[in-house]
Amino acid sequence: MTALLIRLAGPMQAWGASSRYSRRDTEQEPTKSGVLGLLAAAQGLRRTDELAHLASLKFGVRVDQPGSLLRDFQVARSLDGKKTFPLSYRYYLSDAVFVAGVEGESSLIEALSSALKNPTFPLYLGRRSCPPSFPLLLRTSDESLEESLRRFPWQAAEWYRAKQAPRVALRIALDGMDGVEGDMVKDVPVSFDPRHRRYEWRTVVDERMDVENPSSRIRGHDPMAALGGS
Amino acid sequence: MYLSKMPLNRRRRGAVKLLSSPQAMHAAVQSAFAPGSFVESEGRALWRVDELGRDGIALYVVSPVEPDLSHVVEQAGWQTGEMWKSVEYGGFLAGLRAGQRWGFRLRANPVHSVYKSDKAWGDTKPVAHLTVKHQQTWLLDRAAKCGFAIPDGPQHEAALRVVDRSTLKFNKGGHSVTIGTATFEGVLQVEDPVLLRSVLTNGLGRAKAYGCGLITLAPLGIG
Repeated sequence: MTALLIRLAGPMQAWGASSRYSRRDTEQEPTKSGVLGLLAAAQGLRRTDELAHLASLKFGVRVDQPGSLLRDFQVARSLDGKKTFPLSYRYYLSDAVFVAGVEGESSLIEALSSALKNPTFPLYLGRRSCPPSFPLLLRTSDESLEESLRRFPWQAAEWYRAKQAPRVALRIALDGMDGVEGDMVKDVPVSFDPRHRRYEWRTVVDERMDVENPSSRIRGHDPMAALGGS
Repeated sequence: MYLSKMPLNRRRRGAVKLLSSPQAMHAAVQSAFAPGSFVESEGRALWRVDELGRDGIALYVVSPVEPDLSHVVEQAGWQTGEMWKSVEYGGFLAGLRAGQRWGFRLRANPVHSVYKSDKAWGDTKPVAHLTVKHQQTWLLDRAAKCGFAIPDGPQHEAALRVVDRSTLKFNKGGHSVTIGTATFEGVLQVEDPVLLRSVLTNGLGRAKAYGCGLITLAPLGIG
């Protein structure tokens, strides 16, 4: 088994799992369907193509910088001004950084890795208007996905690190094995066919990992320290 | 002189009120001193609210006499454990010597004077500095007069940083007041202990009633 890590970072990202109609939500972290869709786009798969080989990958995400929720109230009209589209609320994560990973057969992972280096279709972070601001591919390794996520250095921006405590707990959300307790999310893509998109449920298990944060400015200034401590 | 620190409980309604209105916090700090307990010439009460990361928020007060903050504790503090702590500041101030280096923190209202319109010469008003660069220059320009210098340091531990910038807006007697603030952190070197002592107890810059101007010092090496 081989694991592939990618970095999802950009001014805006949007990872909808259950949005319908004019309110387009985003989850707190990338969805399996969103990331597998991105890999499929890199490989040049069409929406109607078979994607069972991707859906069988084990998936996990580490939240390096959670970002903040951004709401966009969108009005749109057709180019000739005759048709008005429904008013919609679109939610985004702004300034978020994630490390996402998949684990599977080495040959498939190698294929995905080279597809990411030379993608067929443009890649974006969950919504077409959200391009990534860094190269996506981080690395492949022969470790397990969880090990790989735990090993990889923290990717948060310097300004974000400065605002955090000297020790930070990062959340890792992993696909749960059968019979494991966890949150249920309906984001395993069965078909991206625009006429009939289908998703299956999966279990998400939460883990934590602690990282040292020498950039922290928070432990900071204690005036009482000069006078005998607070 | 006394330096006091009081943790604030942001979940209490009173704390929300005090934190959102510098006018209300000013009144609360002023009421910590019995009428006539000190006169203007002895100094003034300076205060500042610091975010302590996940630990919460603390109110710092520097004053000529010991404050009684029990009414603030009732509104906005914790009524268990140590409600606030006041320590004698004079000994520390007397121990300042030229050449010493300290970590400092200052929330200030950096402003410059501009003419109200092109024609009305002589008629000026203070306008806030908004960019980090201007705010830093503002402080550096005042350093010598305040008895300290900002030593050069490597970039990653820059001796002068602006860690927060914000605009306070609140109502005062029916009209609205806007104050642009910058929070500075860094390292300072004592040049003239007498001048610095006076700045530490009297404050630096404008809006001292509204949580600006209080410089505090902390030993280097602990953050």
